[in-house]
Amino acid sequence: MSQLRISFLLPLLAFSILALIGAVALYSTLSGSRDPTQLPSVLVDKPAPPTNLSKLVQNNSPVQSSVTLASFRGKPLLVNFFASWCSPCRAEAPALEMLSKRISILGIAYKDRNDDTLQFLKQFGNPFQAIGVDQDGRTGIEWGVYGVPETYLVSADGVVILRHAGPLTRSIIDNTIIPALETLGS
Amino acid sequence: MINGSSLARLLFRHLHFTHTTLFTIVISILIACITAPTAIAITSEEMLSDPVLEQRARDLSKQLRCLVCQNQSIDDSDADLARDLRIEVRSQITKGETDGIILEKLRQKYGDYVLLNPPLDQGTLFLWVAPFGFIGVGIIIVMLARKQRANPRKANLNAADQTLIKKMVANRNHDNENKQT
Repeated sequence: MSQLRISFLLPLLAFSILALIGAVALYSTLSGSRDPTQLPSVLVDKPAPPTNLSKLVQNNSPVQSSVTLASFRGKPLLVNFFASWCSPCRAEAPALEMLSKRISILGIAYKDRNDDTLQFLKQFGNPFQAIGVDQDGRTGIEWGVYGVPETYLVSADGVVILRHAGPLTRSIIDNTIIPALETLGS
Repeated sequence: MINGSSLARLLFRHLHFTHTTLFTIVISILIACITAPTAIAITSEEMLSDPVLEQRARDLSKQLRCLVCQNQSIDDSDADLARDLRIEVRSQITKGETDGIILEKLRQKYGDYVLLNPPLDQGTLFLWVAPFGFIGVGIIIVMLARKQRANPRKANLNAADQTLIKKMVANRNHDNENKQT
């Protein structure tokens, strides 16, 4: 009898374990603690990649200057990858506007046409201290961007504190961004 | 609806197909399905002119995950980011970087996740060891089952039981003989 019981119980046990793993994953996805669309960022706690971009030309000014990450050293900085063709970027525009009162924001126009970016800023406001143009997405690759919008919080000494992929929602700002800003003393 | 077996019967009846012919046809179709070239995402302006370097780029692209569509390699994916990463891989190759360094550079930006072949470390140890564990469990189950079949349990019967069984068997044989006649 004991032999039969093992050959019956073993598959049952194996199935129960698999079902349990599935149930835990499903539960944490539904309850919001696990988000399969959020990829882990390797950049957190590491120095932000050196970034040097040409500045978005505004008001038809002929001056071709560049914007570097290094020039923001000394105080915390929010880096926001956005594009006029990205609808979640429109949705998070008010959130950025609000955050811009607490911290400087460097905008990076990701794979966008200059005219479209300017139109976007005119329509949804310009919360950015400066805007760099990343036409070919190379800078995005350096930062590990896999879709816009993406937001990075960089400390005064140039270390990435946190990264959020996707639009900045009310709960992300309240539960993640603001506490992180407070620890940075901003 | 024609299902597989009724189709086979149809072929047998009307076309006088033998089993071997049918088998050959089925196998050829299967091979065609497996070896058929999949849709190619790469465009001609991305390609390198040197076929050797281009082949290296293709091989590397197959090892890199597209982070947008997540279960496709950047070689398969039509996503914008996949295209950017293909261009990045090619520019690194033309700079003369080795395959290992190119993969490592991308891993530093996107993490282990970008590699379709996860490296063996503490976090992925279970992933690599588990299949061997499952095979081991399978072997144990098979061995137990075979042992059980090889030594059927012997019943503990006393003399009275033995004679009873013999009597029953004899009666049954007798009945069968009567039935036949």
